[in-house]
Amino acid sequence: MINRSFHMKNDIEDVDRMVMSLKSVVKDILDSTTMFRFEICLSETLTNSVKHADTHDKEMPIEVTLIETASALVVDVFDPVGAGFFDLRDHAKDLDSVDLMAESGRGLGLIVQCADAVTYGALKGRNRLALDFLKTVT
Amino acid sequence: MIYTTEYSSEITIIRPGVERLTAVNAKAFKDEMTALIDDGSAHLIVDFKDVTFLDSSGLGALVGILKRVGNRGDLAVSGLRPDVEQMFRICRMDRVFTIYNDVETAAQTMSESL
Repeated sequence: MINRSFHMKNDIEDVDRMVMSLKSVVKDILDSTTMFRFEICLSETLTNSVKHADTHDKEMPIEVTLIETASALVVDVFDPVGAGFFDLRDHAKDLDSVDLMAESGRGLGLIVQCADAVTYGALKGRNRLALDFLKTVT
Repeated sequence: MIYTTEYSSEITIIRPGVERLTAVNAKAFKDEMTALIDDGSAHLIVDFKDVTFLDSSGLGALVGILKRVGNRGDLAVSGLRPDVEQMFRICRMDRVFTIYNDVETAAQTMSESL
């Protein structure tokens, strides 16, 4: 069972490296469809964290943990220390409601649509976004 | 970043030149495409055959490029891999862009419409 923590720089240039690292860890437990949703969610979540987490100390890393259970993979993304409370579920737009010609505004909706469950709240003194991905029963 | 090929005097084929079109490089992609349009290219095909992943920033850049082309010409996409095509569908971009299986079909169809 996977139970690992990862850290990435609070830097947009580090997002793709982190997503690819996380994919390599979970490649044997998610089917291709779920892996696709996992990749979208992680890319959008980490990009959102870097761009919008309101922290004064950009040197503080973003922590991601992967926890595998019997039925699911749970991804915890901790906001960088000092970032304000931001529950993306309150801001995500249904993708059907986004103007087709809009150049932004789809990322949060993608996260909500592509994860099997999304929760957010304080954990051990930090704000944490939890993304659940159900494992395929074989 | 982008690679361009002249299919004809009127049609330009563009390859993004990256495997992942994301927030890291979407602005550079849009800026280079915008410069191409401002230099007079109006009938464009973006060939995604070498792109394995596209996020919402990449899609947003593509929408911005489409708006830049406006009524002056046309923008089509081709060669979408399954994950990229799925991203287009989830974001309803299959309602916005003309999508072709391959760049040859896209270029032939676009040339016949001119």
